[in-house]
Amino acid sequence: MTATGSQEPRNPARPAPAASAGAGQGSNRAGQGSNRAGQGSNRAGQGSDRAGQGSGLAAQIGLVARGDPAAFDAVFEQIGPSVFGVVKRVIRDSAQSEEVTQEVLLEVWRNAAKFDAGRGSATAWVMTLAHRRAVDRVRSVQKESERERRIAAADIPYDEVVEAVESSLERERVRRCLNSLTEVQRESVTLAYYRGYTYGQVASLLGVPTGTVKTRMRDALIRLRDCLGVAE
Amino acid sequence: MKPGKRDAHTLVGAYAMDAISAPDRERFERHLAGCEECAREIASLREATAVLGAAAAEPLPAGLKERVMAAAAMTRQQPPADEAKAKPNARGSWPRSLAWPGRLVLAAGAAAAAAVLALAVVFGVTNGSMRQQLDQAQASSQQIAAVLTAQDAVMTSGPVSGGGTATIVMSHTRHALVFTAQGLRALPASRGYELWLIGPAGTRPVGMLPAGSHGMTGPVIASGLRQGDHLALTAEPAGGTARPTAPMMLDVDL
Repeated sequence: MTATGSQEPRNPARPAPAASAGAGQGSNRAGQGSNRAGQGSNRAGQGSDRAGQGSGLAAQIGLVARGDPAAFDAVFEQIGPSVFGVVKRVIRDSAQSEEVTQEVLLEVWRNAAKFDAGRGSATAWVMTLAHRRAVDRVRSVQKESERERRIAAADIPYDEVVEAVESSLERERVRRCLNSLTEVQRESVTLAYYRGYTYGQVASLLGVPTGTVKTRMRDALIRLRDCLGVAE
Repeated sequence: MKPGKRDAHTLVGAYAMDAISAPDRERFERHLAGCEECAREIASLREATAVLGAAAAEPLPAGLKERVMAAAAMTRQQPPADEAKAKPNARGSWPRSLAWPGRLVLAAGAAAAAAVLALAVVFGVTNGSMRQQLDQAQASSQQIAAVLTAQDAVMTSGPVSGGGTATIVMSHTRHALVFTAQGLRALPASRGYELWLIGPAGTRPVGMLPAGSHGMTGPVIASGLRQGDHLALTAEPAGGTARPTAPMMLDVDL
């Protein structure tokens, strides 16, 4: 009895993740390849970049729906950093952001068959999922009072965003479009989207009536959409 | 246009950015169900917010992709919409496994109580803490039996990254699950396995797993399951921590 007890099973480094990591490396290269392709068309023109990236991801998600791990790997390479970035922007805490990012990507795996290309791009589908999850996490985890204290202590997020969105063509484009908004529009969008605040919280932070904030948010997104050239 | 409808429509921007409280969201979604125009506008605005999100991209932390790929390998995918509607219970995670018959798990549950009972008999139940332990073991054993015998009990099984196999029997009506593992890698005395429930309701430690015996760990009962919870396992300092600090070795969507 003691003999069996002392013989703790010793499994060497787990074969299952190793196997999937191996598969990952193969398609990793594929993912990088398509990244380069994406960048190429980015230089070619904004419109074709959006369309090219979107349809590539949509096709991969179609394969993921059929249980293709290599396609899931490619989806990860393409959109994983964006998911993690937006989740972390809202949640701040690294460990929690990692958790939520895992949840989001696992949800993409699970619900790939639910993606409907007729109702928007694959990027928008995944990013909507990611943002919603991040916001739900901060709102359920944080006590209301704690949250209010953080709002009071919030620095102006715009500079931070500008800083974060430097140094790539895409980011430059976003920066330029954010700059084309009025100040209230821009702050409404950055506080809501990057901080995860409700329009009511944004209104109290900016000292503007809620009705105004609601309208500014809508106007701002319409202007952004047109400026970014993502309108269908 | 009625004032109410107009008011609802101005919420499209806030809604597209999730900048809306839960009650407002519900109200707006009722409006949305009958407003094709709103749905189209929101879809187009979300193309813009997606670009805002992409502009915040950051390199993924090391190992995150591997963990998700491993979790995906044992996560059942949802069938396309129509089929899912016909089978609401298909919202499962791992496939049912035949490797661990439910009876074996039940036996393990009884074994935990029996082990304490055997000690109590050998040493005589004169010790208060021993009695307490026995009561606890019996209570836990009853809880375990309640989960295992629940009509909606579902068993799932899958590998733990780092070694071993975890088996979970879950009952949504009991809001509880029973966790057992086989062949978990032995940890140094200063560390132990900690089980977590993670979901919209927050991250709650379930507790430290007891040391394995004959390669078997548990059973451990986790109660208070909430909608959207995941079950996770990490290796933590032996005393346990309030939040997971180590990489997930298991992350099961419940």
